[in-house]
Amino acid sequence: MKLKQGSFLWYLYLDKLYCLLSVRNVKVLVEYFHLLDVHHNNTLNDVLFYHFLHHVTNWKRRQIMIVFNMLDWNAMGEIGFDQFYMLVCILLAQQNHLEEQFIFRHSRPVFELLDLEGELRIGAENFHMYNFLFNIKKQELKELYHDFDVTGDRRLNYKEFKLFTIFTMDKYQERQKAEKENEKKRKKEKKALLKKKTQHQVNVSSKQSSFTNRSESRM
Amino acid sequence: MEEKPFRASLGSGGSDTSRPDNDIRNLWTRATLSQSKLNVPLPNVCEDSDLEDGSAHSKTRRWYNEKARRDSDGGWDHGEYKDSFKQEELEDHSLLELQLRQESSLGSHLEEGDIDSKTEIEMSSSESSLNILKHTPHRAYWAEQQNRLPLPLMELMENEALEILTKALRSYRSAIGRDHFLTKQLQRSIEGLKRRRSKRLNLLAY
Repeated sequence: MKLKQGSFLWYLYLDKLYCLLSVRNVKVLVEYFHLLDVHHNNTLNDVLFYHFLHHVTNWKRRQIMIVFNMLDWNAMGEIGFDQFYMLVCILLAQQNHLEEQFIFRHSRPVFELLDLEGELRIGAENFHMYNFLFNIKKQELKELYHDFDVTGDRRLNYKEFKLFTIFTMDKYQERQKAEKENEKKRKKEKKALLKKKTQHQVNVSSKQSSFTNRSESRM
Repeated sequence: MEEKPFRASLGSGGSDTSRPDNDIRNLWTRATLSQSKLNVPLPNVCEDSDLEDGSAHSKTRRWYNEKARRDSDGGWDHGEYKDSFKQEELEDHSLLELQLRQESSLGSHLEEGDIDSKTEIEMSSSESSLNILKHTPHRAYWAEQQNRLPLPLMELMENEALEILTKALRSYRSAIGRDHFLTKQLQRSIEGLKRRRSKRLNLLAY
């Protein structure tokens, strides 16, 4: 998923530690919500919701309606500001590649969102349905159910899900460390190369100048 | 709406939508052309220029400084937008410096006991106080800085909302028809947004 460049949401940002919007951003978001709330119910119906998401993301209709049904947890056919705020946080987490951190920080609300039937358990189908939202790949899903389904019922309860989020967070942090170290290595190598080049150039130029001096003296 | 403390949840029936009568944009539209450029905050400038004690115009400046400090303490954090005003602040800073230099040169004449220069100083002090009052930032600007969102951001939001709602209107018309009250409500909102946008564009044209 990519947010439309230059759109209003594109200018918002999440706090990288807590994966939430700042108060200032929330204030702005409230104003934006009110602009879209044309019927003055403090809600967005499915049509307004669809056009909003269609405008700011590259999701298809099917995906947008899945998200709407997920957020409409009271089955009112409308989305209030709380759900809208949650959606914006999810969108921004995806945009800024903070999915693992977001799921780790907000494991309970995410679990409740994925638990569509309210059974306090999430099956593989739920995850698969929402993998476009949290960017969970198929291979990761397989590993998830293989490694964390402690009870063996092929579904995850909240504790198992929490373990999964801690594990993915650890992996994410290790990946970040590895990336940083690679970056440092690359920079060092670049510096060393530059040094070599400059030294080589200096040597070449000094050789040339000594050669011309000698030839001049002979003449 | 902007006077009430911010509430993150809007679960209870919120009537916090903007009222056209209290809208800051009405202040802008009623502003005179001559005041359109006088929206430069001068707290820093006035602090620097507050050199002499005991004179009438320095008292005026001190009053202005306190007012400006009080105004800048609360409300929306406009730090990001300060950069755009720095250049204008510098220009006004240099203006005030010139005035002060004139006043100080006249002040030296006073020490020599020149009566004519006394009256000249009085005139210049009244002129400088007039100049300071002329440069007093526009009321609409300060009100915006305290409680409102920055206008460029509002413009972006409104333009985007207009696009979204226009597309939604087509869906409404095809699904429930043109005469349905929800369609009419949506149409009214769109017209309201378009009116605000055209007002803003007219202001810019001036």
